[in-house]
Amino acid sequence: MTAIELRGVTKEFAEVTAVRDLDLTVEDGEVYGFLGPNGAGKSTTIDMLLDLVRPTAGTVRVLGADVATDGVEIRRRTGVLPDGFSVYDRLSGRKHVEFAVESKEADDDPDALLDRVGLADAADRDAGEYSKGMRQRLALAMALVDDPDLLILDEPSSGLDPAGAKEMREIVRAEAERGATVFFSSHILEQVDAVCDRVGILRDGELVAEDSVEGLREAVGGEETLEVAAAGADDDAVAAVRALDGVSGVTRDGDELVVNCDSDAKTAVIAALEDAGVDVADFHTREASLEDLFLAYTEGEAGSPPDGDHTDADPTNDDPTPEGVDR
Amino acid sequence: MSLAAIARKDLQETVQSRGMIALVALFSLLVSVLAFIVRPTGQNEQFATEALLSFFVGPVLVTYLVPLVGVVVGYSAVSGERESGSLKLLLSLPHSRADVVFGKVVGRGAALALAVFAGFLLPAAVLIVAPVTFNAGSFFGYTVFAAALGVVFVAISVGCSAASATQLRALIGSIGIYVLFVLLWGIITGRLIGAAGPLVDALPLSATQIEVFLRVSNPTTAVEVLSNAFLGGQLFSGDSANQQLSAAAMLVFWTVAPPLAGLLKFDADDL
Repeated sequence: MTAIELRGVTKEFAEVTAVRDLDLTVEDGEVYGFLGPNGAGKSTTIDMLLDLVRPTAGTVRVLGADVATDGVEIRRRTGVLPDGFSVYDRLSGRKHVEFAVESKEADDDPDALLDRVGLADAADRDAGEYSKGMRQRLALAMALVDDPDLLILDEPSSGLDPAGAKEMREIVRAEAERGATVFFSSHILEQVDAVCDRVGILRDGELVAEDSVEGLREAVGGEETLEVAAAGADDDAVAAVRALDGVSGVTRDGDELVVNCDSDAKTAVIAALEDAGVDVADFHTREASLEDLFLAYTEGEAGSPPDGDHTDADPTNDDPTPEGVDR
Repeated sequence: MSLAAIARKDLQETVQSRGMIALVALFSLLVSVLAFIVRPTGQNEQFATEALLSFFVGPVLVTYLVPLVGVVVGYSAVSGERESGSLKLLLSLPHSRADVVFGKVVGRGAALALAVFAGFLLPAAVLIVAPVTFNAGSFFGYTVFAAALGVVFVAISVGCSAASATQLRALIGSIGIYVLFVLLWGIITGRLIGAAGPLVDALPLSATQIEVFLRVSNPTTAVEVLSNAFLGGQLFSGDSANQQLSAAAMLVFWTVAPPLAGLLKFDADDL
């Protein structure tokens, strides 16, 4: 079955065309990252999935039904973390989740959901006092009610600190393992990278590329540098990482590990560290940023893939090898 | 049920708002003060609850203040959530836009009714203490009519709110309707009938019939007609029974039609 299907979707506002003749398919069980800079039309597309905004042309189908006629039924099976939302200031976190449970006619335990997103301690406080990150967690808890078949997350990591972003990724992964389809948007590649089966890049309302993260990165080319905040990584952990295919070097820099590797080996590096019992607090890459990737895909004719040797797009190639690399 | 869930959430939220509590306190205080001022002094033992309500509390306080409270409670119902962004959270859940609009009417209508009952409690205490014949039946029966008036204005304001993209427009629309019904209705309809004189003559209705119809078309007058009949012991009976029926029908109309009209616009909007 197809979780999301957009055919020839165009949305014109008074002044701008936000989305142009968009075709997009997300298969059941897939984790799909919807990328693009701010203003590319990501939120408009998501708003059309939720029937908040009606397309000027084209059809939008979600979970096999037309959003224009079956919106309520669709949303009964969908969990949504919207972008630019606000909470009900005078209602507690628990009341919010209770409201979502009641609205979906589900029987989830609100406290268990709040615990899952790390808000158990703040359940009784008015949501008006919550920080941006806590509001984001609260909306995620509401989205997870009743184990939805489809999760639509609009910029899920905005407002979250690195640890929060990591928890978000873990929840996305767990939901995907449960069998849910996950569709999320982001303007930051790192967040998409580790969890997505496939990504699409939107520019000026048009899909200019669609591939696996590895496929996209390969097209841009080059090795990258992974920086992992991993206090307590011992020699065994370092050795385990070094033994991986595609890893060309590992350096320890205080609490940080610097790993030079192929772009598709990154997930394996993190997994190896976690298997070795290392608590990975945060990681990021010095690599082709989304902007570079994005430029690679959008310079020249929209939609044509870039040629293989876009060395400009990979700043790490210019970095001298750090001292003391353990080879 | 979706509508009930929204209504319950909205009720909880509204009764916790500071503005709401302040208005109840103000209303309660004003009714109490009025009850105290016009309390019978000395021999006039006949001064009764009914008289206090239909001559003082009704025309002075209920007619002006309760609709205003209704406007304050209702105008931000949809447009406020739209402006702040909590509407996105609401419509992420399986609610239709109709559920939202009518859930709000029910939730905020209930909040207003609660507020009116709360607002009449303190005055009741004053009246029990004061040396008047306190008729609890009349007094609390009357609060039902006052609450009904408020609910009508909540419904009208929620309708405005649903049709408005911004809070400001919703407020202007709701205040406009308040001014029309509470302050200007008599003048405008009087002019209208005067101007349409020849036209009226052509209709198979008397000018008086039309005048009465226009009078009870105003929800504040409709409630006045009904509450006075109730206090006079002639609810839906006596000479004015027909007029009372039209009044009741108009109240139902004003509770349902404005939210429906608002929904029509709201349903077509991009949010």
